[in-house]
Amino acid sequence: MGLDRRAFLGLVAGGAVGTMFTPIPWKLIDDAAIWTQNWSWIPKVPKGQIDYVATTSKLCPASEGLKIMRVAGNPVSAAGNPDHPLSRGGVSALARSEVYMLYSPARIKSPMKRNGKTFAPITWEQALIEMSEKLGAAKGSVASISGDATGTVNEVLTALVGKLGSAGAFMMPGEATSAAKALKLMGAQGQAGYDFENADTVLVLGADIFETWGTSTRNRKAFGATRPAGAKPASNYIYVGPTRNNTAAVCDQWIPAAAAELGVVAMGIAWHLLKAGATSNAPGFDTFKAVVNGGFGPEDVKRATGIGGDVLAGIAKSLMASKAALVVTGSPFGQGMGAAPVIAGMSLNMLLGRINKPGGVYMLPELASVVPGALSRAAMLDGDLPAFLKGVASDKTPAPKALLVYDANPAYGLPEAATMAKALEKIPFKVSFSSFMDETAALCDLVLPNSLPLERYDDVATPYGSGFCVYSLVRPIQKPIYDTKTSADVLLALARKLSIDLKFDNFQQVLKEKVASLSKASGGFVAKDVMPWQVAAGKPAPALVGGDLWKALEAGYAWTMVGQVAQTGMGFAAEVVAKAAKAGKPAAGATLAPYAQLRTGTPATGIPCQDLTTVPDTELLGENTLVRLNSETAKTLGLKKGQMVKLSAAGVDCQAKVHIFESVMTGMVSAPLGFGHTAFDYFSQGKGANYLSLMAVAEEPGSGMSMWIASEVKIA
Amino acid sequence: MEEKRSTSAGGVGGMVLCTLIGFVGALVVGWVIFPKILFSEKTQPIRFSHTVHAQLGIDCEQCHHLGPDGRFAGLPTTESCAECHGEETGDTSANGKEIDKFVKDYVKTGVQVPWLVYQYQPDNVFFSHAAHRGFECTKCHLDVAKMENPPAYYQNRLSGYSKDTMKMWECERCHASMGTSNACYVCHK
Repeated sequence: MGLDRRAFLGLVAGGAVGTMFTPIPWKLIDDAAIWTQNWSWIPKVPKGQIDYVATTSKLCPASEGLKIMRVAGNPVSAAGNPDHPLSRGGVSALARSEVYMLYSPARIKSPMKRNGKTFAPITWEQALIEMSEKLGAAKGSVASISGDATGTVNEVLTALVGKLGSAGAFMMPGEATSAAKALKLMGAQGQAGYDFENADTVLVLGADIFETWGTSTRNRKAFGATRPAGAKPASNYIYVGPTRNNTAAVCDQWIPAAAAELGVVAMGIAWHLLKAGATSNAPGFDTFKAVVNGGFGPEDVKRATGIGGDVLAGIAKSLMASKAALVVTGSPFGQGMGAAPVIAGMSLNMLLGRINKPGGVYMLPELASVVPGALSRAAMLDGDLPAFLKGVASDKTPAPKALLVYDANPAYGLPEAATMAKALEKIPFKVSFSSFMDETAALCDLVLPNSLPLERYDDVATPYGSGFCVYSLVRPIQKPIYDTKTSADVLLALARKLSIDLKFDNFQQVLKEKVASLSKASGGFVAKDVMPWQVAAGKPAPALVGGDLWKALEAGYAWTMVGQVAQTGMGFAAEVVAKAAKAGKPAAGATLAPYAQLRTGTPATGIPCQDLTTVPDTELLGENTLVRLNSETAKTLGLKKGQMVKLSAAGVDCQAKVHIFESVMTGMVSAPLGFGHTAFDYFSQGKGANYLSLMAVAEEPGSGMSMWIASEVKIA
Repeated sequence: MEEKRSTSAGGVGGMVLCTLIGFVGALVVGWVIFPKILFSEKTQPIRFSHTVHAQLGIDCEQCHHLGPDGRFAGLPTTESCAECHGEETGDTSANGKEIDKFVKDYVKTGVQVPWLVYQYQPDNVFFSHAAHRGFECTKCHLDVAKMENPPAYYQNRLSGYSKDTMKMWECERCHASMGTSNACYVCHK
């Protein structure tokens, strides 16, 4: 029988019907759907045993304790450690990126030596030989710059540079620099620590306490603890500054004031406090009173700042009526403040009797050094890096013969970037100990990659802003991915090669000695069931039990101490404020009011790649950054929304797009920092402009320190 | 016309027969041949005997343990296997040779065994063993404790998943029968 048309159609029909009774169509549809989940470019979750290990964030200045989730031993994400007093479960955008940064394309994969305009890989041994020869020849004129404000690595670095003949051991400038200078001028001892947890009224002068100022993650937690959802707030926060930034946005009150006038505002509030009877036994009170009454009355302040006397009187009344008032002063963008505004703010704390009191300002002792010959943190903070580099650029200061740069990026992160780069070019031999190919590393002769915090031992000692002494450990949770080393180990090896005795063979030994020294400090304890702010409020401090502090630190707990340095000569230093806190001339164009955010990283990290997705298009649109002006300022300057403009100052031009934003005070142009990188990877490079480069460095009258809190810019 | 009718009558019979052949043929292809084409058969890198270990009184969770949040019941690491099998035995029996192969290829090289896992779930599924602790392991997993040799691993050539990976309808049916919510977010991230 042949297969005729009908038979064929029957076969097909039978086959088709039969197929419907088989898994073929249903399975193929289902599997095709699943297949779309498995395209090769879709990220895969690694499979394996899940565990959590504790460490501390070193990339984020807020120094949160972290819990790193690992799958099959591979770190996959970072979360806040609920047991750590600087985290309490919170984490910043930057600390959260610790894991992802391990795989950043900007990482330096091996030691490198400059070869003309490019770099060629070399071995660690070759690098050590090269360094020992050059540094040996540069003896007597070796400088260092550190970008790590909290690490014991600074002891190794400064001890080595000291023994080589230091031409200056500097810290990158920040809030701690201004505060240290201010306290020094006031005759105070210790580092200022702010007890947010026990404060009930907090006056914030400029400092972006919930974003970039000090222990911002801990500050947020302390704020949140007094503001339970649906209940009456147990605290009152007032923000004074040029923009309604991330801090001002959640405070009870925002009072617009230029960053350069914050000292004037503080003195204006002091006038009301004095009028209400505030007094002090501290040295210099009479001078302070005379200065305040002589030039900071309500009319003077209103003329300088535009803030009415009734507003300042209201603030003074709130501060005096509260049980635990606290005044915090800082730069809205984390640097360039000068000492006078900090002195003025601290003077308010003194008038209110808030020094070394719960909910006030504690003067915290510096933890003991363990490396012989190391500089103290206070001594490092006393150095004025912008002034030094400006001096080198203009030939007023002799250029050092060699420079060691640790975890710092002065070619990008300082004001007047062009001047700073010029100064760096005058230094014949430069070494960068950096994890990423940043702008400064690109200028150096040797680039020696530092292992990232998840790959190395390191530590964090009392970050600026913390209300208590705190020490936590950073520990490796995986082997270095590339041919990198812990820079402190390299420095110790270099010292051996130069026959310099720094007492230790490796950095872990240094840290163990540091931890051993902590266990001898009286009053110190491991924060577990009792937190330091509870001890500050009167709860007895637990004993440091168990003896094995190192183990507790490795488990993610922090050593803390509610210490205070007794103040014998802390005075008002009103003469400094009198010279510095004067109303400036009205700007002809606009005043630059930059703001920094942790999601755009730091000069040493660049923009973490996954954080780039969190940058709104009102900040970065395409390749252009946007600057914010209110409609009144825009109208005065003849600018329109979306217009491309050129900002000019300090001999530098920066492009920007105009964004109309009413949360910026009149006369200000608010600009995001963290953009405009020429180095790092394609996540950071070529995105917008570095507006910090527009800021001109000036000498603050009275203190003599460099300041760049507000610069006038021309917009065209 | 007559010829046509004759052809038509014979054609109907032929057509019915062909329809039947097509129907049965499709069933055979769909139920017998299609699975063989769709799935590739693979064997485990080491012939691990669950029976031997079960007979020693080792529970499933001693090797496939849960993390603190119950999120892992996966594979033991080479290191944990090496706690018992850290050295070559020299035993020439089939099991002895397999142990020596494990020691030589994985323990000494520090490499994890690329075990084929019968029931990995897709990445978009959050499955917690902690929430299913009340069930016997064999309620969902192959009863490998009764198998001298590890069963063959069948990998779906199209989706890439194991044939034994539990399907969504199985999860939903069990949830429904237990009165547990079947809302998307209960299982999906």
